Amino acid sequence: MATNKYISSTCTIAKNAVSKNGVTLFENPGADITAFQLSVYQHFHFNYPKFYKMDNLSKLGWLTAEILLKDDFERFNYEPEEIGVVLTNSNSSLDNDLKYLDTISDIPSPSVFVYTLPNIVIGEICIRNNFKGEHAFFIQEKFDPAFIAQQVNYLLDNDILETCICGWADVLGQDYKATLFLVEKKKNEQALLFSPGNMDSIFNTI
Amino acid sequence: MSQSVYVAGVGVISAIGNNVTEHLSAFERGEAGMADITLLNTIHRHKLPVAEVKLTDEELIAITGPTTHNSRTALLSLVAAREALNDAAIPNLQELRTGFVSANSVGGMDKSEDFFVEFLADNSKGKLKNVFDHECGSMTEIVADQLGITDFMTTISTACSSSANAIFYAARLIKNNMLDVAVAGGVDALTKFTLNGFNTLMILDKEFCKPFDEHREGLNLGEGAGYVVLVSDKVAKTLTKPAYCKLSGYNNSNDAYHQTASSPEGTGSYMAMKGALAKSDLQPSDISYINLHGTGTQNNDSAEGTAVKRLFDPNYPPVSSTKSFTGHTLGASGGIEAVFSVLSIKHGLIYPNLRFKTRISDLPFEPETKYLKGQDIKHVMSNSFGFGGNCTSLIFSAV
Repeated sequence: MATNKYISSTCTIAKNAVSKNGVTLFENPGADITAFQLSVYQHFHFNYPKFYKMDNLSKLGWLTAEILLKDDFERFNYEPEEIGVVLTNSNSSLDNDLKYLDTISDIPSPSVFVYTLPNIVIGEICIRNNFKGEHAFFIQEKFDPAFIAQQVNYLLDNDILETCICGWADVLGQDYKATLFLVEKKKNEQALLFSPGNMDSIFNTI
Repeated sequence: MSQSVYVAGVGVISAIGNNVTEHLSAFERGEAGMADITLLNTIHRHKLPVAEVKLTDEELIAITGPTTHNSRTALLSLVAAREALNDAAIPNLQELRTGFVSANSVGGMDKSEDFFVEFLADNSKGKLKNVFDHECGSMTEIVADQLGITDFMTTISTACSSSANAIFYAARLIKNNMLDVAVAGGVDALTKFTLNGFNTLMILDKEFCKPFDEHREGLNLGEGAGYVVLVSDKVAKTLTKPAYCKLSGYNNSNDAYHQTASSPEGTGSYMAMKGALAKSDLQPSDISYINLHGTGTQNNDSAEGTAVKRLFDPNYPPVSSTKSFTGHTLGASGGIEAVFSVLSIKHGLIYPNLRFKTRISDLPFEPETKYLKGQDIKHVMSNSFGFGGNCTSLIFSAV
């Protein structure tokens, strides 16, 4: 049955800044994407050595999810199977595909090759957090909150999931942007109604 | 109480034969299907052995009759699926609810590769017809059309466990009374895309593969298709010859560890085997034979071996990897090996694990190396583990 869902938390990483629930938590102007992502990792004192092996899309999605869930997510309220992830972007894994193409002329790199799929970022987030619910990755021309809301509402309304992390994570060269939403059925203090309009305004704030 | 699901027919094509009879005879002769590449147009020819089906696309078309789109994937699928359906010879098939659940991982990639040769040289060239059926689901639709199956069709693509999952899913459709009959299994054709991809992962053996050997150096890619015809209790009673066996257990579990590697403990494989046993209400000691996933890579065989040890120690049933004959046929392997498992029950066979010399140092068991017939085979476990940690075990049981 369709009931209201709420955005419990949001996080955006774009333009050399990290913001959570509308508050800027960290900035590193001028750094290129590699240096910037590393500085975010260090600033928040994350300790997950596998981060260093990831491609830029996985790093971006992983960092955004870490900060989104940090402090605000009561994960013990949920079974692993009740937590899902629905992500979208417009450049698929092209950023890493091109890097892989560069390695072919020499020796094709297995460690670069394994990131030549866009949904690997979802795998990295799920492995990190032990999420085992449904997940999907869609490639679309631009951020389409109505489409994402339709997908997530379906999963939550049919009790396929109890909570879902959804949004956008896109990287190509030095251009990158991720905005993730934590969507739950219950309303916390700072929660906004989960609606395409609210998603759009959060996405377009930065 | 949900009903049983019976296997009424089988069909298979791979590097060691174009039908069931040829496979049985290749196993008895101990003749592997790997060889130098002769059909696939690739820079790896004469460097990497593969297990090709020994028929050109034109020869396959001569067998299948022309289809709307002649991807090698669809052609191989049609040969094996048709054999299975003919073998089942189900009376009054037209009046039953029949489905086609077919798995693959490459779709029409072979034709797409042809397209890109011309297109990349001149982007006004290249036949668009060659990319029209690129998608995995197209293969299923083309073959379902040729088989005349219209009630239900779907495609499953979960890497190397694809067709085991197709059989698993088809069984559930029958158990839930949504279908009476399902042709289930899968197919994959060799393509540059898969050969280059696996070569990049550095898991291809430059010699013939040595599954479950201490000195294994990787897998050989293969191609083919394998299908079983699953039927309900009700349909099984109408068959003109007895059903081969039952599909008694199945489970899918994931280890959520790495994109392409199994966890060292084989957590996913352990859970899949354990879950399938629970589903079939059997104990490890009930299993007469395990058809291993056994790719010949360091990682798979050590993880799968660890999982088998954890579940079966100290009483191991005979185990072997038929990939030592067929190569790793990826999305087809679960279907092809399901057919082998069914034939193992029907003919009392245990297949040899070719080229095995040295036991893996951490494991207290080793694969069967001899062709054994006349065995009392009651329950066969068939393992199929895919990239992404997607692990499936099926159990077939004598009726």
